[in-house]
Amino acid sequence: MIGDLLAIWQADTAFPSGAFAFSNGLEGLAALERGLPADRLEVVIEGALRRRWATADRVALLGAYARAGDMDAVAVIDREVEATTLCEAFRTGSRRNGAGLLAAHARIGTPGAAALQALVRSGDTPGHLAVAQGVVWRGAGLERDGAVLASGYIVASGFATAAVRLGLVGAVAAQAVVRRLLPVVAELAATDPPERIESFAPLLDIAAARHARGELRLFSN
Amino acid sequence: MTQSRHDWPSLVASRSDAPAPPRASAARIGVGGPVGSGKTALIEALIPALHRRGVDLAVVTNDLVTKEDAERLRRSGLIAPERVLAVEAGACPHTVIREDPTLNMAAGDDLEAAFPGLELVIFESGGDNLASTFSLDLVDWWIFVIDVAGGDDIPRKKGPGVLKSDLLVVNKTDLAPHVGVDLPRMLAEADAVRGGRPVVATNARSGAGVEDVADAIAHAVLFRE
Ligand SMILES: Nc1nc2c(ncn2[C@@H]2O[C@H](COP(=O)(O)OP(=O)(O)OP(=O)(O)O)[C@@H](O)[C@H]2O)c(=O)[nH]1
Ligand SMILES: [Mg+2]
Repeated sequence: MIGDLLAIWQADTAFPSGAFAFSNGLEGLAALERGLPADRLEVVIEGALRRRWATADRVALLGAYARAGDMDAVAVIDREVEATTLCEAFRTGSRRNGAGLLAAHARIGTPGAAALQALVRSGDTPGHLAVAQGVVWRGAGLERDGAVLASGYIVASGFATAAVRLGLVGAVAAQAVVRRLLPVVAELAATDPPERIESFAPLLDIAAARHARGELRLFSN
Repeated sequence: MTQSRHDWPSLVASRSDAPAPPRASAARIGVGGPVGSGKTALIEALIPALHRRGVDLAVVTNDLVTKEDAERLRRSGLIAPERVLAVEAGACPHTVIREDPTLNMAAGDDLEAAFPGLELVIFESGGDNLASTFSLDLVDWWIFVIDVAGGDDIPRKKGPGVLKSDLLVVNKTDLAPHVGVDLPRMLAEADAVRGGRPVVATNARSGAGVEDVADAIAHAVLFRE
């Protein structure tokens, strides 16, 4: 049971990691489309899960989880994330969110957190979120499957929370969307990950790139 | 399944054996308070006062939806622009200083890494309400700034910011006559609800009271007289 509990602990938004400050393209998309009704929101999140989380974030997470004891190998994965994340706003957001997660785990004393944080601080590796998750979640004792589910859940619930704060859907309606997307997370989590990181979510990329130039905004990306 | 809480797998060899880093070496203080009470103006007045005391400092701002306060401080000529970082708070000014201060913690860490010898990091909270308080994960000591124009009943409302802050600043004292506020009574009521913790009256524009705030900071977190 402890494995399940550890995954719940890390998927809980009460765990501080800075994630609340990022909309991951949603704010930009809502501005482009002049709103985003709940059914459209669900399509957008599902697209992000299928074409970004499952094929990119999850791959980096699993790679870092498997090699958590070898910081040089972790740094290689981290640089691959950097190179394959085309949108600058997502690159910066992922690094800042990763730094937030590391700050919390380093303070707690999770094995691996301080080592990766030191590497990031010295500029040796960018410290992307998925890579930081792989390392600290392994150190914290999450099982591999629990780590994958926690990361997928965080993506779905993060979009839903951002949508509430953007006034796109109500807090309750947002959870109906999350509920409908849970089988998608479960389905994707069970598939074999691709060998290399692949990401194709052009709509969110474009929206986030436009958002980055906006003056007035609630979220960092 | 029976893993005890002490039995974390030591999966990360070599470098993870290093203990968790010690508590940040630069002192960290917070400046919070309602929208427009004069937080940025107070920091602008404090920077030269602290520089005169030889304090090596940097600032992190938590603007709500823009980087306006960070830009204002960078352009002020009071401090090197690269010593001012903006952390966007995702429209949640209280979250970023209390429930989830990790982005601010990381910004403080970045400043410390960039400026060896840094002694003080000042975090300006985005304007919030009377309930905002700083997490002690983030700061060692914090100031809550209210102003006389917000009404002389604010201390009586006993918001957590007014009650729990280490120092309460009552700013814009120059406006008291214009808004019909009895300043001595407002300060006395603030004293009464704070159970002996300090209250300073300031005019961030003229600088009145700012030296007292700088002294309080130097005394509380920099251990200087
Ligand atoms: N008369 C007077 N005006 C002041 C004083 N301090 C600040 N102001 C003015 O009050 C307004 C708000 O000041 P800021 O320093 O921007 O307030 P703030 O608390 O940083 O505001 P937010 O960050 O937006 O919450 C500005 O127009 C200041 O010039 C003061 O002591 N007296
Ligand atoms: Mg301000």
